[in-house]
Amino acid sequence: MVLWWGPEFHFIYNDAYRPFLGDKHPALGKPGSQVWGEVWQIIGGPLQSVLDTGQSTYSQDELLPLNRRGYLEETYYSYSLSPLHDDAGAVRGVFTAVSDTTDGIIGARRLAALNEIGAVASRARHLPEALRMLTEVLGRCGPDVPFAAAFLREDGSGKMTPRVVSPAGGTDVTRAMLARWPVGDVMRSGQPVTISGLDGQYGSLPSGGWATSPTDAMVLPLTGDLGSAPIGAMVLAASAGRALDDGYASFLSLVAQQTAAVINSALAYESQRARAEELAELAGLRSYEARWRAALINSISEAFFVLDDDGAVVEINDAFAEVLGYGRDGVPYRPRYPWWPPPDRFPEAHARVAEAQEQMLRQSRGDFIAPMMHRDGHLLWVEATFNEIPDPDSGRRMVAGTLRDVTTEHYAGQRESALAAMGMLLARADNVDAAIAGAIGELRRLWRARRVLAVAWDGRPEPEVVSTDGAERWPDLPAGLRTSINALKDRPLLTPTTGDQASAGITLDYPGGLLALWLDLDPAVPYTAGDRTLLALLCGYLGPALHRLRQADEQRATVIAMQRAFLSPAQLPPGFAARYEPAAPPLEIGGDWYDVAELPDGRIGIVVGDCVGHALESAITMGQLRSACRAMLLQDVGPAQTLKAMDKFAAVIPGGMSSTVFCGVLEPRTGDLVYSSAGHPPPIVAQPGGEIRLLDEARSPALGVLPYIERSEARWHLRPRATLLLYTDGLVERRRARLDVGIAQAAEVLAAGRPDPVRDVADRLMTQLAPAAGYEDDIALLIYRYPGPLELRFPAGTDQLAPARADLRDWLGRCNLSVRTAQDVLIAAGEAVANAYEHGSGGASGQPITLTATATATDLYLTVTDRGRWKDSAPIPGAYRGHGLPLMRTLMTEVTVSPGQDGTMVAMRLRITP
Amino acid sequence: MTTPVSFSACRRPDGSAALAVHGEIDLSNSDALASELAAALPEQGRLVVDLTGVEYLDSAGLTALFAHASRIEVLVTELLAPTLAISGLSDITVVHEVGRSSG
Repeated sequence: MVLWWGPEFHFIYNDAYRPFLGDKHPALGKPGSQVWGEVWQIIGGPLQSVLDTGQSTYSQDELLPLNRRGYLEETYYSYSLSPLHDDAGAVRGVFTAVSDTTDGIIGARRLAALNEIGAVASRARHLPEALRMLTEVLGRCGPDVPFAAAFLREDGSGKMTPRVVSPAGGTDVTRAMLARWPVGDVMRSGQPVTISGLDGQYGSLPSGGWATSPTDAMVLPLTGDLGSAPIGAMVLAASAGRALDDGYASFLSLVAQQTAAVINSALAYESQRARAEELAELAGLRSYEARWRAALINSISEAFFVLDDDGAVVEINDAFAEVLGYGRDGVPYRPRYPWWPPPDRFPEAHARVAEAQEQMLRQSRGDFIAPMMHRDGHLLWVEATFNEIPDPDSGRRMVAGTLRDVTTEHYAGQRESALAAMGMLLARADNVDAAIAGAIGELRRLWRARRVLAVAWDGRPEPEVVSTDGAERWPDLPAGLRTSINALKDRPLLTPTTGDQASAGITLDYPGGLLALWLDLDPAVPYTAGDRTLLALLCGYLGPALHRLRQADEQRATVIAMQRAFLSPAQLPPGFAARYEPAAPPLEIGGDWYDVAELPDGRIGIVVGDCVGHALESAITMGQLRSACRAMLLQDVGPAQTLKAMDKFAAVIPGGMSSTVFCGVLEPRTGDLVYSSAGHPPPIVAQPGGEIRLLDEARSPALGVLPYIERSEARWHLRPRATLLLYTDGLVERRRARLDVGIAQAAEVLAAGRPDPVRDVADRLMTQLAPAAGYEDDIALLIYRYPGPLELRFPAGTDQLAPARADLRDWLGRCNLSVRTAQDVLIAAGEAVANAYEHGSGGASGQPITLTATATATDLYLTVTDRGRWKDSAPIPGAYRGHGLPLMRTLMTEVTVSPGQDGTMVAMRLRITP
Repeated sequence: MTTPVSFSACRRPDGSAALAVHGEIDLSNSDALASELAAALPEQGRLVVDLTGVEYLDSAGLTALFAHASRIEVLVTELLAPTLAISGLSDITVVHEVGRSSG
């Protein structure tokens, strides 16, 4: 991330950007033209235009020749320039989001270069033509190969002569200087040599379009056909704009390999043609016409075939056998030909070649490209041209055609799109796991691998395995495979394994350690040196992306952990329900809060508050105010004094001014509440009979506004089974409506919820008050019904019956029930507890019994649960002593007995008649 | 704590045997009620069982009363009256509902 500030574009950047600066760091705060002098003529103009017009600009893959490591470097960037406004709306600076696209640009260019060189083989008919075309093609590859000279050994003398010098013309490299290169040594040893620090000893080399001349070059052997002795050596200079690193060296090595392949192909063609010329002398002898014809056909270097009108291949030449592996002794080949890819393993390929066949039988001439399977089992792509001809003897329709192997060109196209696809996938991934899963999927698709494994060593005892085949664990992999994968750790990074067509392995840097990729290849799919280069390139993309994503993951985890520290309590005392919805996802916190603080003597501090400001800032303020409020409540100074202390605090913390707070202390044993409000909307009380009251006394201004103001307290007695609602204005405030309209709506929902448990009322408030488009503001709400539920837990012993009854009687008293009602509940509960004791524990004390009692405005709910073991499976009612269950059923409105594996629960409800 | 209960057996002014109970009767002490009842039963005539001082009585206590249903007369306040009615004891035993006792 980068900022330019002010008319001089002072340069501001963060730590993540430092690696881009190289030697320029430290550059913080320096004028842009000073930091980026070498490219200021490119970027200065656009920056100025953003400052002048306020319009954003975007540049894609722009070449910026940077001097940041002591030399002028060829690097490409995609970047956006966006205006930064001050509060008055004037443009004061420019914000830049930049990504380095160098690897993609240069990688694609180099692959294209390799393909062009390779393509010469199919177009050149003889050696001089091949050499001329090579010179021309290499001349067009200046940015990556500024200078090239290929030397071939003369057959007779053994001397090395330069046969390709690129770029032709435009270089003043003399023969004498060419002769200085150690090409003879390299050809004899067969080992490449790197020469660093060129300073004119080989002449002044062309720069390939770069501003500076090459400083490094390699001399590589040109291998002979099929691994025989080298036929020469090749000098390749590296562009001064890129360091001659492993990737560049691999590329140059491939250039030499491709050049050698082209030359060998032309040499082979020449010898073939010489032979054909010899055979042509036989042409005059008609008595050898048949052999002549066959020899002529065979002398054509392209694969040749003839089909009869049934589609059977009746004639082929040696070249055909070389391309597809099927020789003349198998003629005639009837459809379906053995070189068609089997439909079970390669359905799309099979379909395609079948379609091509149709084309050949229907049209009189044409061409197509189709996949085929060589006799030895590997896939290749061929391009065929065909012509209809009448048989000279019978006049029947025959088809004659040629075909050639275009596998390299076909896969070259695939490779370019593979690089692009991997780049897009990594740009879209937003965490490490997604990036790895996506990358191994791409690799599998690209090489039709059977399976791809990613194995990560990051310091834990066992490496982590991700597979395209679903979940796999390291210990479950076969021992031989684990050995092979472990052996990858000894290889240099980004260096694919060689030598085995059944598998490919490569390692790359991984946050915290090392990542290895293991591909189980399909032997039928080609996997060549070009594929290894591609694999290395793709992994070169993957490594930095994983580092970037790991950083993002860590930042996210930090943010979430910090948010949790700010959150209001989730565990609430009995009788409370709460909801909290911040307005700005993905943040989990906002400026609103609720708090429930249990004081040492059993009273409970209840608070709801609202800080002004945008999401993150107000959340930080909220956290501080909440802590201060809680601390003061625990000091037991009372709500008014608590708000006064928060006044002083709010005045000095950022964003604290004008925060509103409602603060109260509740005595849950009596329902008494003492409270004070600092500018906060009044809590709502729904009486058991349905009337609504607002707690709107003891109001004073919001925090910090008048720091020395006196704050008062008011008292309220919660009637038994009344419901209290504390909330923030997000719940009730609506645009274009008065606040009391929203408050009245909330009051209505609260009153309607009198018979219901408080958690259901909380849900209903959130859903029924929500505007159509969702809430705009944070919401915090806290609901309490007095008395809170009774929860008793006691061992099953007859000595526990009386104390439990006493607690229940005491609680029932706080519910304001008639004497009769209380007595009925007491008896029903007593029966249930006695039965729980009797059968639940078989008379043996020890297993605890749980009793809960809850009161709403309209009903009383009781549950008694025991956790005893049953000796038999007799239904519970039968086990009850004669009078117990009937008593319960008569006294209570509803009784449900639920036996279970772990015990029995008796649930009872009594409708309270007012 | 154990369930608080006290029993006192005496003779009423008209000579009938009586057993007064104060406190609460539940599973923990219903056996005690049963044995007190058995001990206080006269050889002839009924036993007056005064439960006006009982704050709590559930089926454990009812079982003890049912055992001697034909030989007792029960005094209760409005607090216990419904319990006895619901259980059916009132149908087979003489039950008098009176005001709260003071003792």
